Amino acid sequence: MTRQLRAVMLSWEFPPRIVGGISAHLFNLSRELVKLGVETYIVTCDFPGTPEREVVNGAQVVRVDSYKTPSPDFATWDSLMNVNMQKETAALISSLGRHVDIIHAHDWLVANAAIGLKHVFRIPLVATIHSTEIGRRNGLHTDYERMIHQTENWLAQESWRIICCSQYMTEHVRWAYVLPQDRMRTIPNGVDTTVYGKEFDRAEFRKKFASPEEKIVLFVGRLVYEKGAQTLVSAIPKILSRVNAKFVIVGDGGMKESLMQQVANMRLAHKTMFTGFLDEENLRKLYQTADVCVVPSLYEPFGITALEAMAAKTPVVVSNTGGLSEIVEHDRTGTKVSAGNADSVAWGITRILLDPGYANWIKLNAYQKALEVYDWAKIARETNAFYEQVLKEYDNGSWKPT
Amino acid sequence: MRVIILTWEFPPRIVGQLAYYVNRLAVDLVKKNIDAHVVTYNSSWVGLHQGADGVKAYRISDKVRPQINVLTWMLSLNQEAERVIADIYYSTKHEGNLIDVHDWHFIPAALTLKRALGIPFVFSLDSIEPHRSRNSAAPLSSSIGSIESSGVSDAQRIIVKSEWMKQEVKHYYNAPDDIIEVVSPDSESWIDGVLTAYEKGLRVSVN
Repeated sequence: MTRQLRAVMLSWEFPPRIVGGISAHLFNLSRELVKLGVETYIVTCDFPGTPEREVVNGAQVVRVDSYKTPSPDFATWDSLMNVNMQKETAALISSLGRHVDIIHAHDWLVANAAIGLKHVFRIPLVATIHSTEIGRRNGLHTDYERMIHQTENWLAQESWRIICCSQYMTEHVRWAYVLPQDRMRTIPNGVDTTVYGKEFDRAEFRKKFASPEEKIVLFVGRLVYEKGAQTLVSAIPKILSRVNAKFVIVGDGGMKESLMQQVANMRLAHKTMFTGFLDEENLRKLYQTADVCVVPSLYEPFGITALEAMAAKTPVVVSNTGGLSEIVEHDRTGTKVSAGNADSVAWGITRILLDPGYANWIKLNAYQKALEVYDWAKIARETNAFYEQVLKEYDNGSWKPT
Repeated sequence: MRVIILTWEFPPRIVGQLAYYVNRLAVDLVKKNIDAHVVTYNSSWVGLHQGADGVKAYRISDKVRPQINVLTWMLSLNQEAERVIADIYYSTKHEGNLIDVHDWHFIPAALTLKRALGIPFVFSLDSIEPHRSRNSAAPLSSSIGSIESSGVSDAQRIIVKSEWMKQEVKHYYNAPDDIIEVVSPDSESWIDGVLTAYEKGLRVSVN
């Protein structure tokens, strides 16, 4: 007989605080875990206008003081935030009579708090490692980066088992922290297809971004080197020589100025649109309105934007890298291009825009895959089974307090 | 009573005066038949366990290297202190434990252990950040100050060595008068004064 599980998740972000992909991941995963009968607590950072305690889709959300006194840098701030997070989670677990089965950490940002809680309560700790410092930075160049890498390593070594969201990340994390195969588990990220089902006036919405004769090429992501927007921008002239299009670039980041300068130098500013950060509703509509969505990343642990486009029934062009390569099968659920190669990106985009039959075949296959493989209910069942496995080992061991 | 002392310096690791003071404290506690444990930072010169004269010393080491400043260093060392104290807790009886934190370095561990395992703590202040720092408003220094502040407001008792220091702690951290014990190390009844403060700390309900 399986017991009723109680899990405490630690994450530095949860909606409405959205910084990266962990926020949406936890929002969806917690909702489905609750449906399976897992009593789920999420301890996260506070956010203006949100309550300290609330129930979100059945999950108990606890927001802690995220330490607002000025601190010297991001990593130092994070250490201080962890002091509060650990203290408040200790109080929470005590208030539950210490009856918590699993502590589940998401990325190094909560490593300190999670590891301390594991030891003081002797509750098994598991971690999802969504990305790594050595991957994000393409190597380790400073003490700051090495410290974060070693913090990730510490979290990995202290975790009973580790979840990664793609086979690529599982192998990468094994390599980065020298971990045995049996400590690792691949459970994909998911996508909620239902949010792309709502109808709206597409023609009217489309007018905000492009004229009727222009195809819309969509890029969504932080404007940082690893996301590869610069490759797309370099591909624009070649694409425009074959097909009339508008390039809509959603997101912010350090490269925004130089990318805008690049299009201005090519005298193509009128064919591009930098929207900055977009709210969820407009982003969803844009996914549904675009004619093609391109994900030209140089480094991509998972590739959630490709999956979102697939769920919105928009054909995708992705680079053959990391997790993207697993989500998309070339010529079946998308078009794969060579990472960092503008000619290849131009070829992939042009092909989809000029061949509606091919584009249609791709997008219907992709939508079907999003429904079947990346279903959050299925992912929650796998996560629950993973918890059960860890608990079975914990129950049979001698570390559990008597 | 079992006393677990947390200090970032302990012989042979000597940074300032604190190492000598804590060593004398631990040795005298053992003489008073107190089960004295010292959890401290690793020194590569000695092994992991056992200090002089019956003091049980645990020397924890870095899990994360390099570090970018004293805060990230200390805040990632606290989990090792928590692990060692939890190991002591789970391997013996759960009552009668008291933590004595010397200066700010292991305050985060004390805050968590109090809430998690109900272990009360006293905060022994050898020095405070506003005195040590030339610019206590700078981010690093004010962050250390905020840790001292939460230690002061969370501790069952605060032990200082002079009446002057008591006034300083009251001034900088708004500590109520009646939780601060002045115990002079120069006094003949010093160790008895510390024990009295400990007993008061133990009597105050953690909740």
